[in-house]
Amino acid sequence: MKKSHCWKKLACLLGMAVFVLSQSLPVSAKSIPYDSYNYDYREYIRYTPAAYLPAGNVDIADYVFQGSPVGKLLSPQDLCADGKGRVYVADTGNNRIVVMDEALTRIEDVIDGFINQGKEDGFNQPGGVCISEKGQIYVADSQNRRVVVLEKDHTLTRIIADPQSESLEDGFVFTPLRIAVDYADRLYVIAQNMFEGIMVFEENGKFSTFFGTIDVEISLWDKFWKRVATKEERSKQKLYIPTEFTGLDTDPKGFVYATNLDANGIQGVRRLNPSGVDVIKKGQNLNLGGDLQTAGTTEYAGPSQFTDVTYRENGIYSCLDRKRGRIFTYDHEGNLLYVFGGLGTQDGTFRLPTAIEEVNGKILVLDGTLCEILTFEVTEYGRLINEATALRYDGDEASAVGIWERVLELDENNELAHVGIGKAYLTAGDYKQAMKHLKIGMAREYYSVAYRRYRNEMLRKGASAFLSCMVILVIALLVARRFRKKKRRR
Amino acid sequence: MRKLFKKDDWFYLLYTLTHPMDGYYWIRHAEKGNVPIAILSVILFSFCFTANRLLASFVVNDLDPRGIDSLYELLGVLAFYLLLCVSNWSVTCLMNGEGRLKDIAVAIGYGTVPISLSLLIATIYSQFVADDEQAFYGILLGLGVAYGAIMMLIGIMQIHNYTLGKTLLTLFLTVIALFIIIFLILLLSNRLALVFNFFRSLYIEIIFRT
Repeated sequence: MKKSHCWKKLACLLGMAVFVLSQSLPVSAKSIPYDSYNYDYREYIRYTPAAYLPAGNVDIADYVFQGSPVGKLLSPQDLCADGKGRVYVADTGNNRIVVMDEALTRIEDVIDGFINQGKEDGFNQPGGVCISEKGQIYVADSQNRRVVVLEKDHTLTRIIADPQSESLEDGFVFTPLRIAVDYADRLYVIAQNMFEGIMVFEENGKFSTFFGTIDVEISLWDKFWKRVATKEERSKQKLYIPTEFTGLDTDPKGFVYATNLDANGIQGVRRLNPSGVDVIKKGQNLNLGGDLQTAGTTEYAGPSQFTDVTYRENGIYSCLDRKRGRIFTYDHEGNLLYVFGGLGTQDGTFRLPTAIEEVNGKILVLDGTLCEILTFEVTEYGRLINEATALRYDGDEASAVGIWERVLELDENNELAHVGIGKAYLTAGDYKQAMKHLKIGMAREYYSVAYRRYRNEMLRKGASAFLSCMVILVIALLVARRFRKKKRRR
Repeated sequence: MRKLFKKDDWFYLLYTLTHPMDGYYWIRHAEKGNVPIAILSVILFSFCFTANRLLASFVVNDLDPRGIDSLYELLGVLAFYLLLCVSNWSVTCLMNGEGRLKDIAVAIGYGTVPISLSLLIATIYSQFVADDEQAFYGILLGLGVAYGAIMMLIGIMQIHNYTLGKTLLTLFLTVIALFIIIFLILLLSNRLALVFNFFRSLYIEIIFRT
């Protein structure tokens, strides 16, 4: 009795001590309005340090341009940056394009009209904007059913409207929503109700082809029911329409990154080569659809809906999910690097995110309801991952080890870091360490390489001892047998 | 204890493993079978099964160790064993089978031994295996399962004194009987829950009214 009482007292004291200590510890991190996490090999959610932190919202209402305030954005739909880091925002509701400097502190230009054949002309609900390498401004003037190409000084270069082709249906209304332009001034357009894919326009503004068409998957079961159903029934069934593209970006090599809504949550982003074939690499879990744990029946459940993508550098690209307001960043091998962002009413969260862009290492997200640009700054954790991924992209895994080790200090369950370290040990010849890290990283292939070499090493080392043991054993057996025979003869 | 697990019976298990035709014949006709040993081997099979799922090298094993519970699997294996024995017994009773429930239990129980052995050996072997060397691991498991299945088949055949064709037919009927039993158990538990709920709500009603 007495003993147990003593224990109770001790436990009580210890509990008090822990409580007091935890109260006195200062809260070091700023409170972050969203969870940062990643998925491990088993698709469990694994919380990580934040990769990016909110660095303030930019509201241009008070900004002044040419002596007068520019006013607040109105349901802006798209933003992009040119080579110098200037940010172009498609201010859809105000029918204008707003240009800001890279720090988003100053308005550099407001484009609300241009001279078209001697007459003043303007935009009507411009939904997308992008800048070519030459510095020309492409505007998807959606309700005027055209794409307008302007020089920097607002002079009209070209108007792309009314595409003509046999593959287009009669009565097709061209409503461009999002656009991207590559290094050869080829224009890629996502048009409303255009399920055949992305429309490609040549440099001269002529419609050339559809691009990246998403195939519809019909299961055998559906086919069977289609066959069984009568015509009347069939007319009432849902149509099998491929999903639409939602956002796009080009990388310096001319590949097009495009997001689409995937009802299965498996692939929400594609990387299309110049002939329109998807060449994106998928990671170990073959998933590029954002969240993996999406079960539930609430409005907040269901697969992620990527609405825009931005190619960053070194094969890294970030996708913006409008369902839960999260930003998913993948590397060139399709591994999920980090997730951050969220919907809500706190500072640093979104209402209706519409577009994403990276400028000078900062991630900018345009919110169509808040009518503000949210900025995110990289943390130590995010920076380390970006750097290590860049080194791996260049094939320089050995020098990435130090960085991965520091990542492990911040997040000891990071599987990518373990794989990176394991691979480096593998090339350095320390197979035992390599096996340990590769096993934690669940990299079967590389683990097997390491293990095979380790096994050979052990065999080589142990061979002489093993063989001499065998020889001794055989001799001993022979001697014993002879001894027995002699005994028997006697 | 010593009475339940006689030394001779252990040797007879080994004899049955190597000579299934003969072994099972004398199990039926000379009381050579030992039910406690059969049940023990089923329990050991369950442990080997769990060990394989839990401990096989991650090169050949993609299961999440957090989702494996050895006790739960033991219960499952025992329940399945019981179901299989009872359903086979109920079918063979109607089809002129000579075996008793005890013999069926022994036939199936002894049949699990080669599977357990192969699981154990394969689990140990998997520790020394690299990627794209898993073929032998698969062959080991396949051989064990095949041998076990043949053992059980011969066992059922011999203890009931059936032809091969009739054995296969009864096995098919056994599976159907198994489903019927499961269905009946579910039905029963469902009805019982309803009755229980009825009395419970009565009780709650009374409590609330007083």
